[in-house]
Amino acid sequence: MFRHTALRYTALVLLASGALFQALTAEYFGLEILTEILILAMLVLALDIVAGFGGMVSLCHGALMGVGAYAYAILSTKAGLAPPVAMAGAIALTGATGWVIGAVCARSHGIYFIMATLAFGQMAYSYVFEAPIFGGDDGLGGISRLDLSLIGVDLNDSRSFALFCLALLGAVYGASVLILRSGLGRSLSGVMHNEQRMRALGLTVWRIKADVFGLSGMIAGLAGALAAQHIMYISPGLLSWTVSGEALVVVILGGLGTLVGPLVGAAAFVVLKHELSAVTTYWHLVVGVLLIAVVMSRANGIFGWIEARWGIWVERRVADATRKQDPEEVTGDA
Amino acid sequence: MLETRNLDKSFGAVHVTRDVSLKLERGERRVILGPNGAGKTTLFNQLVGELTPDGGSVHLAGEDVTALPVARRARRGLSRSYQKNTLFDGLSVEENLGLAAAVHTGHATRLWSDSLGKPEVREIVAEVAEQVNLMPYLHARVSEISYGVRRQLEVGVALATRPLVLLMDEPTSGVGPEMSKGFHDLLNNLPRDLTMLIIEHDMDLAFDVADTITVLNYGEVVFDGLPDEARGSKLLREIYLGSWEDA
Repeated sequence: MFRHTALRYTALVLLASGALFQALTAEYFGLEILTEILILAMLVLALDIVAGFGGMVSLCHGALMGVGAYAYAILSTKAGLAPPVAMAGAIALTGATGWVIGAVCARSHGIYFIMATLAFGQMAYSYVFEAPIFGGDDGLGGISRLDLSLIGVDLNDSRSFALFCLALLGAVYGASVLILRSGLGRSLSGVMHNEQRMRALGLTVWRIKADVFGLSGMIAGLAGALAAQHIMYISPGLLSWTVSGEALVVVILGGLGTLVGPLVGAAAFVVLKHELSAVTTYWHLVVGVLLIAVVMSRANGIFGWIEARWGIWVERRVADATRKQDPEEVTGDA
Repeated sequence: MLETRNLDKSFGAVHVTRDVSLKLERGERRVILGPNGAGKTTLFNQLVGELTPDGGSVHLAGEDVTALPVARRARRGLSRSYQKNTLFDGLSVEENLGLAAAVHTGHATRLWSDSLGKPEVREIVAEVAEQVNLMPYLHARVSEISYGVRRQLEVGVALATRPLVLLMDEPTSGVGPEMSKGFHDLLNNLPRDLTMLIIEHDMDLAFDVADTITVLNYGEVVFDGLPDEARGSKLLREIYLGSWEDA
């Protein structure tokens, strides 16, 4: 069940401050990296909700993000809808797609659930790749960003776009917390801990899974719509299973089921990717070794490791304080 | 309140439930006895919908629920506890009870409010915790409480759905004699209008709690009557090899 701790609040404040500082001071390249992190962070938050709090390890979240991106591109360019309407449409369509995938896959578990979501993802990828309306392998270009000139914001400016993405990520994080603290989120946690018992209590388990998968899909759709606006061009590669796999790596790297961890993971992953790829083309190997180290350490990702160390440190402090307060009792016990 | 008519179930060549007909009146407390492999838990699984019978029907409050899935039967008032603890291990006692109460009150699927904070959910949690003596453990995680307290929680979670009929599969399974006695009091103190069907091996509990006793052997009802009649039954002595002659 989702719980905010002092450490998580602190990490959130530090992350938000760091991102804001970067958004206000960085040059073009730094802003591009920051925007990439923020969009990836949204996608991995969506994945953490279903995988970390519902036990539904999905390999189709990359495809869901792709659905959001293509929906925004088609609605805003070919259907001629205003970008805000296109964005709302993209989010709704991706949410509906997520709900259907969640409803169909709800009765499968473990490896079968992963394979079923992978199949959905690959179906979406193949369809987008083959259907002429989506531009095939060439993808779609000419995608415009939202027009916020009414409030004096030009999103074509990298800094403004990064700040816009940061604000949306904040909203998405808040929404994720609300979802996990709602009746729906509590039930999802119950389903993850003991699906059979939740069903025996009278809960329609598939509906809970589908609803949460739909909400997660909406967040992935928002990430997709922003990704389309960021690059202003999209290609079927966005729906590839490797994007879903990468998102899963980021969630595990950061800390599954913590919400804050995936944000740390997104920042670490993107920074590592850019820094290492400047040095070697084999940067994936380094990320792979890091992932293996994280998994083998049995810590729940980078943030899970920090939380564990913090817990040990706090326990020691409490023990020390108790010893100082009543040294005789401690000596007597010994 | 709960009725089965000619319930029948086989697994391949093994006939595990043979033409079982039971009728529980509202508020009745019936204990099902029978040796290992008699088909008691299989019967429970058919009552709650976890197994589909090959023949016969299950009726709850006059309605045929045979075709209904587990969750819909539970929402109509059929709740069960398990022989092996089936709890939400990573959560606290309060959260375990709250999840069940939230399903009953309809808050379990709502997106705009925290189900566990709802006054009606908290009220049920407090009431059930009182009923099954869990008040001192409300904030403890399941992993932090003893096995016996977990057995109490197992029943508490089933009770928190405010059932019409409570099915309990060996509620005292694995607990010591002292705690088992506590369970007798606990069950005897539950609301008198709650219909209970209990699988039990503990003969003392059976005779202490039951209004009526049903004995299954090889999936078949071989005795159906009052506890005093059960004590005097020669057939039951043979089935149990005199195991409760001293009870």
